Amino acid sequence: MKIACVIPAFNEEKSISQTIEQVKDLVDLIVVVDDKSSDNTKKILNSINEQKLKKIYHPINLGQGAALQTGNEYCLKNGFDVIIHFDADGQFLASDINKMIKPIINEGYDLVIGSRFLGIESNIPSFKKNIIMPMAKIFNILFFGIKTSDPQNGFRAMSKETALRIKIENDRMAHCTEILAKAFKYKLKIKEVPIKVIYHEFGQKFSGGLKIIKDLILKKISG
Amino acid sequence: MIQQILAGLIIIFFLSKLINQWKKKAISFNEFIFWLIFWVLAILIVAFIKQIDKIVINLGFSSSAINLAFYIAVLFLFYLIFKMRLKIVKIEKNITDLARKISLKE
Repeated sequence: MKIACVIPAFNEEKSISQTIEQVKDLVDLIVVVDDKSSDNTKKILNSINEQKLKKIYHPINLGQGAALQTGNEYCLKNGFDVIIHFDADGQFLASDINKMIKPIINEGYDLVIGSRFLGIESNIPSFKKNIIMPMAKIFNILFFGIKTSDPQNGFRAMSKETALRIKIENDRMAHCTEILAKAFKYKLKIKEVPIKVIYHEFGQKFSGGLKIIKDLILKKISG
Repeated sequence: MIQQILAGLIIIFFLSKLINQWKKKAISFNEFIFWLIFWVLAILIVAFIKQIDKIVINLGFSSSAINLAFYIAVLFLFYLIFKMRLKIVKIEKNITDLARKISLKE
């Protein structure tokens, strides 16, 4: 089975090399999609000479959702069987990749989602853990029927069939909800796997959460 | 009377802008006709405001014609914003598809 890891990167000059270094031995190909970074991310990527690395550059900034879809399309065109979505900022552990892909390879799951709430402790900022995340969870259950413990987690793995069925249309940050909503709609076999997340910064803020809700509603209205 | 003249002048200003845009071919024929009808209707409402007032009262509305015109205008604006939003979403999608194609070809 050919395994690819898609890493969307926007202004990740501090962490991108390290992330690539940590992931490269665990997958067949790393697809980094630079979303028109304004820092030195592109320069750093160009300086990395790694056979297992495919660099894709968006000509304009489109958003994380769009970068993931670009990565998915590249993987599908090049015959990869399992696609992993991994953050460039070093908050996920590369050592968790194996347990994310195992349910797809060995147990026939379509989609595997990382979860920060299944036993392994992550240093989640308390406002995020106790206010933003529960609110996002309620919103996801009420409006999209998503019943997972950590719907906003960006660490996921999917089979090629899943990537073919789920086309990410929310270009910005609403893609987490969109992917899960479509997975539930198509009745895909979903598994949650406990993972550890290391917070270097706060990440998605409350205002970002509101923007996600706005994007989802507008997408729903405009079909 | 002064209010009607002022409103008439504003509408004429917008009409001249519209004709100008049409001459420059900045808008399509359909769009030109749509806005022409819109502004001609607006000028008719302003010119016959008293007669419309009477019709509005006869129809059983408690407000004056100018109020009713405002309500309709606000509803119309909401509709236009919605239409515009749909158009923007479509354009955004096209831009994303295009940018993706370019990046995957490189």
